[in-house]
Amino acid sequence: MLLFDILESLRSALRSIRAHGFRSFLTTLGIIIGVAAVIATVSIIQGLQFSINEQFQGLGTNSIIVQSFNTFERRLQGIVARISPSDFELLSRVEGIATISPIIGGGGSQLRYGSQVYATQITGSTYSYQDVAQVYMKYGRFLSDADDITRRRVVVIGETVRENLNLPENPVDEYVRVGDEWMKVIGLAEEKGQLFGQNQDNFAIIPYSTMRSIAGNQNELDMAIQLTLGNLDQMEAVQDQVTALLRNAHDIEPGEDDDFQVRSSEQLTDTFNNILGSVTFVMGGIVGISLLVGGIGIMNIMLVSVTERTKEIGICKAIGAKRHQILLQFLFESLLLCLLGGLIGLTIGYGIGLAASAAIPDFPRAVVPLWAVLLSFLFSAMVGLVFGIMPAAKAANLDPIDALRYE
Amino acid sequence: MSLLRIENLSKEYQMGDNVLRALDGVNLGIERGDYVAITGTSGSGKSTMLNILGCLDRPTSGRYILNQKDVSQMDPDELAEIRNREIGFIFQSFNLLPRATALDNVVQPLIYQHLPRAERIRRATEALQHVGLGARLDHLPNQLSGGQRQRVAIARALVTKPSILLADEPTGNLDSRTTIEIMRLFDDLHAEHQTIIIVTHEAEIASHCHRIVRLEDGRVAEDRRNRELA
Repeated sequence: MLLFDILESLRSALRSIRAHGFRSFLTTLGIIIGVAAVIATVSIIQGLQFSINEQFQGLGTNSIIVQSFNTFERRLQGIVARISPSDFELLSRVEGIATISPIIGGGGSQLRYGSQVYATQITGSTYSYQDVAQVYMKYGRFLSDADDITRRRVVVIGETVRENLNLPENPVDEYVRVGDEWMKVIGLAEEKGQLFGQNQDNFAIIPYSTMRSIAGNQNELDMAIQLTLGNLDQMEAVQDQVTALLRNAHDIEPGEDDDFQVRSSEQLTDTFNNILGSVTFVMGGIVGISLLVGGIGIMNIMLVSVTERTKEIGICKAIGAKRHQILLQFLFESLLLCLLGGLIGLTIGYGIGLAASAAIPDFPRAVVPLWAVLLSFLFSAMVGLVFGIMPAAKAANLDPIDALRYE
Repeated sequence: MSLLRIENLSKEYQMGDNVLRALDGVNLGIERGDYVAITGTSGSGKSTMLNILGCLDRPTSGRYILNQKDVSQMDPDELAEIRNREIGFIFQSFNLLPRATALDNVVQPLIYQHLPRAERIRRATEALQHVGLGARLDHLPNQLSGGQRQRVAIARALVTKPSILLADEPTGNLDSRTTIEIMRLFDDLHAEHQTIIIVTHEAEIASHCHRIVRLEDGRVAEDRRNRELA
């Protein structure tokens, strides 16, 4: 019997929503906007997270990155933090590491080929950097160990650099001028496109030792060091060892803070995910408030609707409607309104997410996780129930005589 | 055995410091198939009587036995059930649901009886045909004339096959020609042995009934057979 009442209440709630089409839409607008905001935010952030995780997958879980680290205050005091080539040599003796790649992110430098001049980012590193940067060759080869040992004047370039220098389709064995040195192009990397609006094909990589030898003042050099471990179990031991060695080398007193960071790639991903997580959380809070406001809007309109339909409620009671039947009808009306709002909001939100990620070049595609969908529906339903119960109870408890007399 | 019996029934309202006694020890019995008019001037207790007879309100004291059931102390949901099954209301202002078609209006009380949809529609259609509106099932109330609306209301009252048809000034909002039509419909229903109680202050309407109960100051002042018809 209750099931029957529920079905009938649903039917009459639907009829009522349809009868007040425009008002129903306005009523549920708060929910629509709230849910759309949740879904848009979540879908964009999830897309970002997805792609960041994909990016870091290339680093492997068994790698460690060592970078200089300086607080803003210390920088103001004129203290410089850097990882120097001697640190690199020091760390190459650490036990348990499989490979070690120095990465010198030299500032921009000019490349010249014929009459073409093009400025790009020059990185100095070794053959193991190929895995780090995930550079795959289209023509030629990547740097080799021998290139580094003998300080060969060779360079690996990206597609953008080739294009801007007007180099031939296959630029291998051409000579370009890097800064003041002539260098032979030994490889052209495959095109990667853009990530977060950043061109990923605009680079030139030369051997680490070559970089060191041509970089003017070696003392000013700040570099990053990437280690890979032979055995994942040694992660912590290696991290500790690296920290101890560097603190010693940098003359850091006990109690003072490190002027460098030792982070595993997992920690790096975690950091990113933490940031994204707190952004999601904050957005969730804002959105929660907007849903609350939407819910109050629904309650308001439902109360108006109860008052407006007092006479109808009286008629229904006179012809035999019981309290729970009236209650169910109004409760379902607000529940349905909220769920419909949730559905519309979901569609709009996903649309916004897709549009936003499409509008920003090479931004990762928006992804709507199932939990967000379920959560927004659950939340909508809850808003409908919580804010619908008071108007519905008010309607159900009306005195039939008073309700009939109401004009 | 009477269809309904009222014993020493009183209804009091608290009006500030004063107690207003709308009904004061009323005794009344109504038989199955009766055609009764309850009349009286305004303030005589007619409306209160109607509300209690229609189970919309409960008496302060006394008993109201309807179909051998004491309904005077039932709770609101039990009263709703009685209203649904035993009583068919007809109001002065029709009281149709404005956004529902004639058919949906008549179907409504059957929903509260949990009848399956097909059955509801069949019975509602029958009831509407019975009052001569078989061709207007899909009209909304505002697409119908006053007389037609009242016929829809009568169909809605009849569709549950109630023990009592309870009409409150049923022709108060109608012109004289429509009034005659509606009263003829009541006469016909009476001929089909439907128990009818009409609350009215119009002598003209009361004259259709076979029994006239006149209230005065909350008491039965007169209870007589209609001699013209007898």
